[in-house]
Amino acid sequence: MAIQNISARPPAFSQLTSGLRDILPLAAGVAVYGLAFGLLAAQASMDGLQTGVMGTIVFAGSSQIIAVERLAAGTGAGAAILAGLALNLRLLLITASLRDEYSGRPWWQVLLGVHLATDENWALMHAMRARGHQAGYWYLIGGGIGLIAVWVLSTVAGASFASTVPEPKALGMDFAFTAAFIAILRSLWNGSTMLLPWAGSVAIVLLAGLLTPMDPTWTLILGGLGGAVLAGVLNDD
Amino acid sequence: MMTETWILILGLAAATFAVRLSGYLLGQRLPDHGPWARGLQALPGCLILSLVTYLLMRGGPQEWAAGTVALAVALATRSLPLTMAAGIAAIYLLRAYF
Repeated sequence: MAIQNISARPPAFSQLTSGLRDILPLAAGVAVYGLAFGLLAAQASMDGLQTGVMGTIVFAGSSQIIAVERLAAGTGAGAAILAGLALNLRLLLITASLRDEYSGRPWWQVLLGVHLATDENWALMHAMRARGHQAGYWYLIGGGIGLIAVWVLSTVAGASFASTVPEPKALGMDFAFTAAFIAILRSLWNGSTMLLPWAGSVAIVLLAGLLTPMDPTWTLILGGLGGAVLAGVLNDD
Repeated sequence: MMTETWILILGLAAATFAVRLSGYLLGQRLPDHGPWARGLQALPGCLILSLVTYLLMRGGPQEWAAGTVALAVALATRSLPLTMAAGIAAIYLLRAYF
């Protein structure tokens, strides 16, 4: 069984390195956000050590930004954790959809794999696979290693050199991830069966965003789940 | 403030890891064919599209125009770096000159 497993996925190392290489443009965007987060951390009187530890063990950028912003605004740690946690519920859907990648792996690979799962390397893995490339668990890990290294280094740098950090919006870098996700969507599109689920997701996000005071976190989860339910119920191939 | 910060760091790390691990445990328990499997398979695209929709909705005409440029480059090249570069350049120019 063990031997079979190894021979069934020979290119673990080459997937790791291609995951690491392919994540570079996304990692550049992450670095800009890391600097901006470091600036915020410094304003919340966090030092380089705290910033580095936080980036390593939380490793979820948007929730770190919300939580530290809340802490700096004077809410207690409890409320700040809740705000960050709400933003991270999306990660539940991400690791759930990675079940085939984790399945049958030793526990340490599962724990490493779930910790290193983020929007960027997860989306990139799906995009590459949709284009016919071999991209599985080790591709995800390679991307995750690149992202965590860049995230920790840039956030610590931002916290340490707070006064010289550029503002992402002034450079147009706030648009980096919107553009990246548009490119990834292009790769994920694989035919007209996705039309209704995707239209459903867009409609839900637009309606919830325009007509209700719903928090964006919940809008995203509702949009993602709504489209997935449509795909589950409608498509039957 | 010092201990408050460490409580936040450790608490958010534990909560985030619990969410990530719960997704794994949930995924293992869902059936691997039928509606559940189809839904789970469609989930990545739907979630990313929801995120893009939200990001563009939060922006204005400049973001919509830059999004259109990014989409055109994505359709033409299917390249992630080129799409990112085009989108960033477009939003930078639109904000500077319009």
